[in-house]
Amino acid sequence: MNFGPFIFLAAFFGLACSWFGMVLTPQIQIGRLQQTNTVPAGAVYPVARPGLARQGLSVYRANGCAYCHSQQVSQSGTVCDLVLTDVGTNETALLVALRKIRPAFSEAEDRELMVGLPKTVRQGIPKEEAEAEAKLIGATGAKASSWIIPVGPDIARGWGIRRTVAEDFLFDYPVMPGSQRVGPDLANVGVRRPDMNWQLQHLYAPRIEVKDSPMPPYRFLFEKHRIEHGPSSVALALPPALAPEPGYEILPKPEAVALATYLTSLRANEPLFVSPVSVAEPKTPATNNPANSSVGAEATNAPSSK
Amino acid sequence: MSSPSSQPVLHAPTADAKVGQVTEIDLSCRLPLLVLFLSAATWLVIGWVFQLIASIKFHNPNFLADHAWLTYGRVHPAFTNSFLYGFGLQAGLGVILWLMAQMGNVRLVNGWLVTVGAKVFNLGITVGVIGILAGDSTGFEYLEMPGYASVLVLIGYVFIALWGVVTFHQRLRRQLVAAHWFLLSALFWFPWVYSSANLLLVTFPVRGMAQAVIAWWYAQNFLVLWTALVGLGTLFSLVPRLAGRELNSHYTALFTYWILILFVGWGGIPNPASVPAWIPTVSTVGTVLALLAFIAGPLAICQTLDCSWAAVRRSAPMAFFVFGTICFAVAGFARGGIALLDSSHALHFTWLAPALTALTFYGFFGMVLFGAVYVIVPRLLGVGLPSPKLMRAQLWLSVIGVLLVFVPLAIGGIVQDSKLTDSHVPFIEVTRSSLLFLRASTMGDLLLLVAHILLLANLIGLVVGFYRTRATTTYAELTEDRFKPARARS
Amino acid sequence: MISDAKQPQQVQAQPERGSGKAPVPIWLFILLFLLLYWGMVYFDLRGGWFDPRVYAPYHTFAQVETWQPVSGAAGLFSQGKAVYNKPTCVACHQADGNGVPNLNPPLVGSEWVNEPEPGRVIRIALNGLTGPITVKNQPFNGNMVPWKDTLTDDEIAAVLTYIRQNREWGNHAPEVTPERVKAVREKLKSRSTPFTPDELKQIPASD
Repeated sequence: MNFGPFIFLAAFFGLACSWFGMVLTPQIQIGRLQQTNTVPAGAVYPVARPGLARQGLSVYRANGCAYCHSQQVSQSGTVCDLVLTDVGTNETALLVALRKIRPAFSEAEDRELMVGLPKTVRQGIPKEEAEAEAKLIGATGAKASSWIIPVGPDIARGWGIRRTVAEDFLFDYPVMPGSQRVGPDLANVGVRRPDMNWQLQHLYAPRIEVKDSPMPPYRFLFEKHRIEHGPSSVALALPPALAPEPGYEILPKPEAVALATYLTSLRANEPLFVSPVSVAEPKTPATNNPANSSVGAEATNAPSSK
Repeated sequence: MSSPSSQPVLHAPTADAKVGQVTEIDLSCRLPLLVLFLSAATWLVIGWVFQLIASIKFHNPNFLADHAWLTYGRVHPAFTNSFLYGFGLQAGLGVILWLMAQMGNVRLVNGWLVTVGAKVFNLGITVGVIGILAGDSTGFEYLEMPGYASVLVLIGYVFIALWGVVTFHQRLRRQLVAAHWFLLSALFWFPWVYSSANLLLVTFPVRGMAQAVIAWWYAQNFLVLWTALVGLGTLFSLVPRLAGRELNSHYTALFTYWILILFVGWGGIPNPASVPAWIPTVSTVGTVLALLAFIAGPLAICQTLDCSWAAVRRSAPMAFFVFGTICFAVAGFARGGIALLDSSHALHFTWLAPALTALTFYGFFGMVLFGAVYVIVPRLLGVGLPSPKLMRAQLWLSVIGVLLVFVPLAIGGIVQDSKLTDSHVPFIEVTRSSLLFLRASTMGDLLLLVAHILLLANLIGLVVGFYRTRATTTYAELTEDRFKPARARS
Repeated sequence: MISDAKQPQQVQAQPERGSGKAPVPIWLFILLFLLLYWGMVYFDLRGGWFDPRVYAPYHTFAQVETWQPVSGAAGLFSQGKAVYNKPTCVACHQADGNGVPNLNPPLVGSEWVNEPEPGRVIRIALNGLTGPITVKNQPFNGNMVPWKDTLTDDEIAAVLTYIRQNREWGNHAPEVTPERVKAVREKLKSRSTPFTPDELKQIPASD
């Protein structure tokens, strides 16, 4: 076959296949995603980043932060925790049920579970087991629910409570999931390090916060300023070895503030349908609480585990 | 050189060209290809200076840290873009053009436009690299050159590649060989994927995670597929030529071609990506199926050489080609292996990934291009290297350099992964454990920088040798009359 | 020198070496088909069949659904709050649940809402209400639109749980389950008109 255009057609066909599969179909599926709702609260997610955070995204891009930091939390599986939310009126029956569920623990430990609710009764069990045990507890008049807990090395490291999904990056341009983990994953850094001052100090001199950090100092994002009318409220508090000479202070430039705002806005911990996780309801002010009221009351912070 | 008609025309059957004799085809390719190859070699040196700076920053984060334009996050993409586009694309195009002319037994059509295209291309890369250092990076890995520069790059590329296609169309020897399939497809492939990626990511950006998918698709199609097409096409053409044998076999080469274009383009999406499960799954299936190409291609080369090392010992360019083939196979299998690991591993995020990129783009593609350049440039100029030892010196520097880069980073990556997946290991420990391997790879980068300076020196030496020979010959011709009476008398 | 590109000269040259015509080794094809089969099995197991809602480690949409947080009462309440504020109910009954005097009855402390059996409020929510009604000794005479075609059983159960258990409003009635709503909906299948308060009073509480 000495017909040149045939090669062109073959190449075009080969490209068209991967183009349809890897460009067009993802564009149809995730390129046209709209905002979704968290589950079960129904809040809108994601919310667009505020303007300063979006400028910070631009600083993140210009300085190539994505070459050392990833923004993808992965998940290797899901398990259940059994959480006791209400002891009900029949404590003895509840105790019997608890002994059945947790034979390895003593009665005293089981009794401890019944105060200071909500408390985790069992951790890391399969779903069917959790539901069966929840029914068992429910039969005694108490209330227990099974919480959905994603697991994986990233989650165990505290980098997130669930895996990141396409909705987490809906409004970002450019999306920089990163390809290296020379530094920790940043998908939820706004949850781990919400303090702007920490972020600014870390940018100026990473070794203040993290010993032996290989991250380069971004001193060019800051400027040395002569103290004229008294120290500025945004001046960095530096250890003596790094502090400027007396009469001078280090102030962050707008790029540094924007970048720090962007970093503190990074969170991907809302429960979604595609990435389910149980979270505690937010605390509300205390109201009249009739005796059988635990049902429907908004739970307080995450249950203490045992 | 005097007019073509007064010289006999011949093809030198071996790599070491006979001094003084240049065929018409080579003559037509001379200026454009020299521009392409010398620019490529220059970008290689520039790129590796950037890489050395980036490498040193890992051991001393304060190194050059006060300058915004030299921060790691800008110097690293400057390196990758200089290397991938400045060297890889230009040298690859040069080799494709020469092979198209040679295989078709026809002169390169409109070589002067190719030269113009090369200049525009270089302008684009320069503007792009400066743009990246200034902070205008697009944010997409391997596509960092800002829009205003990638337009120039694309225009330059089209200027160059167009005449490769026209030369192919006007070929005198009409029969299609396997190398034609690879090289002609490659000429079209790059502008298709590059323009798609730039349109969908920079000009009219798509929304959300689709950007990342398209960026990964582009990176795979350029870094793995385009280099495979050009590299294998070069190998299937030059290895039989150098060895004086037939390609064994044409059909195996075509099998490799079809596997490449049908399956390799799907790969490249890492398993932990924040996209629906079908995308990384399909990508993994594509990568594993593509293994067949990484078996069949090297198999064809091996069978052509009768699977013996004799040819390697005989000629240095062949050594480049064989090393490249081995790296091609290793990289392909490594990619297949990584794709099969599930999300409980994080190998995609470790040093193994850049190690594999280095192995693919340098160990395979770069080395094949070096070999091809050492075959082509002496023939373009009609001069040989002052000593073949210089070629071997660069060969050894490059081989040891790339192994010193790849092996420590690969091992470091595996160690990093085992620590990353163990959540009891504090993160700073993970980073600390890889510093030793990074140190070794910095040594490798240093060796590679020396190797590239040597390559540039060799090429410039060839050009200087050409002018010196021409000056000597011209002087001899001009002064012939002067010495005639003296010779007659003696 | 480049000028005669239009007429490529015949250059004497050694003929290009032909390529060997040996066939592709058969084991490559066998391997190809084996890998294709493996690929199909692999995709079947992990690909989620192109569903955009399936992310690893889940393999099918059904799996994702089973792993959703179970809507216990806590879940129903917050889900119901979202439904209430959609703005399904808030438009008339207001965010504080006090309604509008003489127009929309309040839900705060309402005896209709706080009935131990939810049958009546379910009927109101499904089919709507018309005719004069007394809530907390205040007369109202308006129309409430039916929600059976707009809200699912889950949503109706959730919003009714929300208004019945809202402590801030002083309501402390038992929750409403989606199963109960479904059962009532079945009974009302043939009815499309709104209820009147008198009709509701005549229906037994546990219905």
